[in-house]
Amino acid sequence: MDNPTGVLSREQKKKIIPYLLIAPVVIYYILFWLLPVVRAISGSFMSAPADEGGVFTFGNYTALFKDPVFYQALFNTAFIVLISVTLEFVLAFGLALLINMKFHGSGMFLFLALIPMSLPAVAVGAMWTSGLSTYGWLNSFLIRIGILNAADKIIFLGGGHFAKMFLIIIVDAWQVIPSVMVILLSGMQALQPEMMEAGYVFGGSRFKVLRKITIPLLKPTITTAMILRIIAAIQIWLIIVMLFGYNRLPVLLEQIVLNVDKYTGSEAFFRKGMALSVVVSLIVSCVSFLYLKVSGAFDEPAGKGV
Amino acid sequence: MPVLELKDIAKQYNKRVWGVQGMSLDVEDKEFIVFLGPSGCGKTTCMRMIAGLEETTRGSIILQGKDITDLPPRDRGISMVFQNYAIWPHMTVYDNIAFALKLKKLPSSEIKSRVEEVADMVKIGTMLSRFPGQMSGGQQQRVALARALAVRPKLFLMDEPLSNLDAKLRVIMRTELKAIHQRTEATSIFVTHDQSEAMSMADRIVIMKDGEIVQVGTPEDVYFRSADIFVAGFIGTPPTNFFYVDVKKENGCTILDHEFFKAELGKEDSDRLSGYEEIVLGVRPEDFILNKEGNGILKSQVLVVEPQGAHQVVALEVEGNIIKTLVPSDHSLRPGDNISFDFDMRHLHFFDKQTEKRIS
Amino acid sequence: MGSIRRGVFRSVRKTTLYIVVAGIAMALIFPMFFLFTFSLMSDYESYSEWPKPLLPRIKVEFRLTPIESVDGSYKMEIWNNSEKGFTPFGPEENTRANKSLRKLSNFIRNYSNCFISEKELSEIMDSVDQNGAETFILKKKVFNNYTRFFTLYSGAAQSVLNSLATAAMTVFLSLSIGGLAGYAFARYIFKGKNVLKLSVLFVRMFPPVAIALPMVIILGKIGLYDKPVGLSLIYSVNQVSLSIWITASVFMGIPESLEEASQVFGASKIGAFFRITLPLAVPGLAACAMYSFIYSWNEVINALILTQFNPTFPVVVYRSLLGANAQVHLIAAGSVAQALPAIIFTLFIRKYILQMWGGVKV
Repeated sequence: MDNPTGVLSREQKKKIIPYLLIAPVVIYYILFWLLPVVRAISGSFMSAPADEGGVFTFGNYTALFKDPVFYQALFNTAFIVLISVTLEFVLAFGLALLINMKFHGSGMFLFLALIPMSLPAVAVGAMWTSGLSTYGWLNSFLIRIGILNAADKIIFLGGGHFAKMFLIIIVDAWQVIPSVMVILLSGMQALQPEMMEAGYVFGGSRFKVLRKITIPLLKPTITTAMILRIIAAIQIWLIIVMLFGYNRLPVLLEQIVLNVDKYTGSEAFFRKGMALSVVVSLIVSCVSFLYLKVSGAFDEPAGKGV
Repeated sequence: MPVLELKDIAKQYNKRVWGVQGMSLDVEDKEFIVFLGPSGCGKTTCMRMIAGLEETTRGSIILQGKDITDLPPRDRGISMVFQNYAIWPHMTVYDNIAFALKLKKLPSSEIKSRVEEVADMVKIGTMLSRFPGQMSGGQQQRVALARALAVRPKLFLMDEPLSNLDAKLRVIMRTELKAIHQRTEATSIFVTHDQSEAMSMADRIVIMKDGEIVQVGTPEDVYFRSADIFVAGFIGTPPTNFFYVDVKKENGCTILDHEFFKAELGKEDSDRLSGYEEIVLGVRPEDFILNKEGNGILKSQVLVVEPQGAHQVVALEVEGNIIKTLVPSDHSLRPGDNISFDFDMRHLHFFDKQTEKRIS
Repeated sequence: MGSIRRGVFRSVRKTTLYIVVAGIAMALIFPMFFLFTFSLMSDYESYSEWPKPLLPRIKVEFRLTPIESVDGSYKMEIWNNSEKGFTPFGPEENTRANKSLRKLSNFIRNYSNCFISEKELSEIMDSVDQNGAETFILKKKVFNNYTRFFTLYSGAAQSVLNSLATAAMTVFLSLSIGGLAGYAFARYIFKGKNVLKLSVLFVRMFPPVAIALPMVIILGKIGLYDKPVGLSLIYSVNQVSLSIWITASVFMGIPESLEEASQVFGASKIGAFFRITLPLAVPGLAACAMYSFIYSWNEVINALILTQFNPTFPVVVYRSLLGANAQVHLIAAGSVAQALPAIIFTLFIRKYILQMWGGVKV
């Protein structure tokens, strides 16, 4: 144990190995995550970079909080998150229950269902702009199958504020529901059938077994997928800009891009964008924290694995 | 000179938990040693320290006169059969067996002949080009064995190699392993929690408990001269029955006094017990002798009968404890029957009530 | 009776199942398919047909008729599928003059994606002189929009290279750094592991945009702003943590005893990793690489903020859509090109996607 020669014993060497393995990650995170985060927070309280004569200020935040668009964006984001995540999960769960059976071509179907979520956001944007525009494929399709007259086209993108939001929710649902459904399905199929069979043997009805056994057993799957969905939904923006353009249906992330990308070169807008990004991170962090709390990550001892 | 010497080796997992504490053992040439103990007793940890897969916290391991305590596994000249076989699934059987030989840079003709030799020895000579995924558990076990034999080690380690096999195969492999050992004469250490496996294979058994050696001895030693209550209760099926008895002198004879029976001891046993007032009496199931007249030492009623073929296990209830006895099958017994036993006085085991050690 | 009822129930259930599955499949396929159809449309189909074609066309029908009033001049018409008739196409009057022939040939190429040489045109005119009106069918060059997208939007080709470079570096960075940590997570118990585990999870969920803005300044200082390397450094923040998670579960799936066995039989610790664990981990690591690739290839918001003259491919597609003269069928071509890698890779990694979302043990 005491090693006067200064050479490490095998046991000591073995203890060092994991630290060597994680060192690159820790260094990388400090440089490219922690440092930028600190800079983002400190930068959001500065009027300009410190070496260009910037001073400490709350100005960026007051500018943000005085901006009525910010509150609109906050409301819109909250509305979209709330409705879309709820809707997506209810529908996905219902569909998963309906499909929870082995059938011909299920492998192909499951692959198909996973595609929308892996599609690039711009491709999805292009898909729906080409579809929902007045002369787009959706109207063409409706006319061709005889639901619409060639003369009366639906102006999908011209609706009011809430119509726009519901359009976004539907488009998002198209992308998300299939994947969530597959995830729930795979969760259901990973459950031991004996669990449910025991429920039936001891007199449970279909509904009772679902409510008292299946859903509680699926809870880890559901909470994980749901919180990851909430985090993703907070960050919806591209599809909105691609369908409607900037500032038509303000949401949080869109406002950051607007401040930084559209008004390039203006220090004030850049700083305001920074403040907004700090606010968004704070919101997302709260949700993440909640997730970690709910999933019990805090009280789990460190064993092997993740 | 012993082939392997363990000098007070110990393994500490963290500040408080010891895996193995202070274990010393000499293993002679060509010996087949079995480490036996319940799960968590440190037997596997000990074997892994010998293999070099686990570092020793203190103590030293000496193999053929050379201190190997701080050598990496590959430089130790040992080989090992793992509990889950650890056959590499991305290599053919041939490559699995030849792995070590290739790393030693042996000429390929030599490798080929050695691989074929050991493969024939464990009867997988026709499967050399297969992948492990296409083989049954028993065949994979044989590959693991062949791989370990191919290196002709100074020391052959086996970590519960039979525990993943089904009961029938396990018994067959037991015999084959012993035959292979007799042929190769490789010094071997075998870890198991199955006492019947240990009894049937070992030259010497090392019984471990809570990271310490309890007894080292031949199968006869540990069975007939169990070192303490733990060993007596662990070895043998059904295990030894224990009674708390008072030692009394009556009419110049030593009497073991129990609420349900009294047994008179012979001269030799009386001497052994002089000075003890309370002891634990251990009686093996086969040392209960059925008394057909019904006036034996222990009288009770049959609780359960378990036929075993030539014998039947007859369970009784004495003072709330289940006592299991072994009775020849020609006595027809039913639950509830009155029954009476004598003890085989030659084979009684006496243990100190406080230390639980054998009184000798 | 009971068995009949059960049978009926079964078949009803089976039928509902297939209806639901078919419904979902159609709802999924149609939009993607229509986008694909759009990407094959010529300018003419895109602007002059209503309702728009929903099935891709590979052939176009033309008609050349002599103009009675002017000798030696011809009128070109094209079949309009929605009006079910020929409609005028190209210059009002076409003659055999070289200039006129070239103009017509170019027009046909630009607006209908069909190719016909001037010589062939004049031959058709010859036969029109003999037989009166002549209809002829030309093969459409279906993927013409794809080449046009890359020529029309300057920098699109370069942006694909940028995207590839960024993705390659992101994959390398996240797999190497993340893989090491993943291995540590899978094989060792060490102090601070829980803290690290929580931070990794936290970083994985952290909005990437939050670090993009300070990164503009940081990368500017070290000269990596507007460069794929700089971008990959940002992309890797989320990808490293995801890679740790995936690789850890990959390594966990490979029993430690396989490595130990190879150490006993003559390999060093590092040798054991390269000879045994790595070959067995390849499928899982490949999936992890593909996941990082897809993320990097698809990402927009950071690319938008952190590039200026060297945008990535999705940024080019995005800008082309928001541009003033957005031509929807060309953008559709760009989008399909952008989406293709994601779809192909999804086929390979679906198992891991499921693991990542469902029942994630943290």
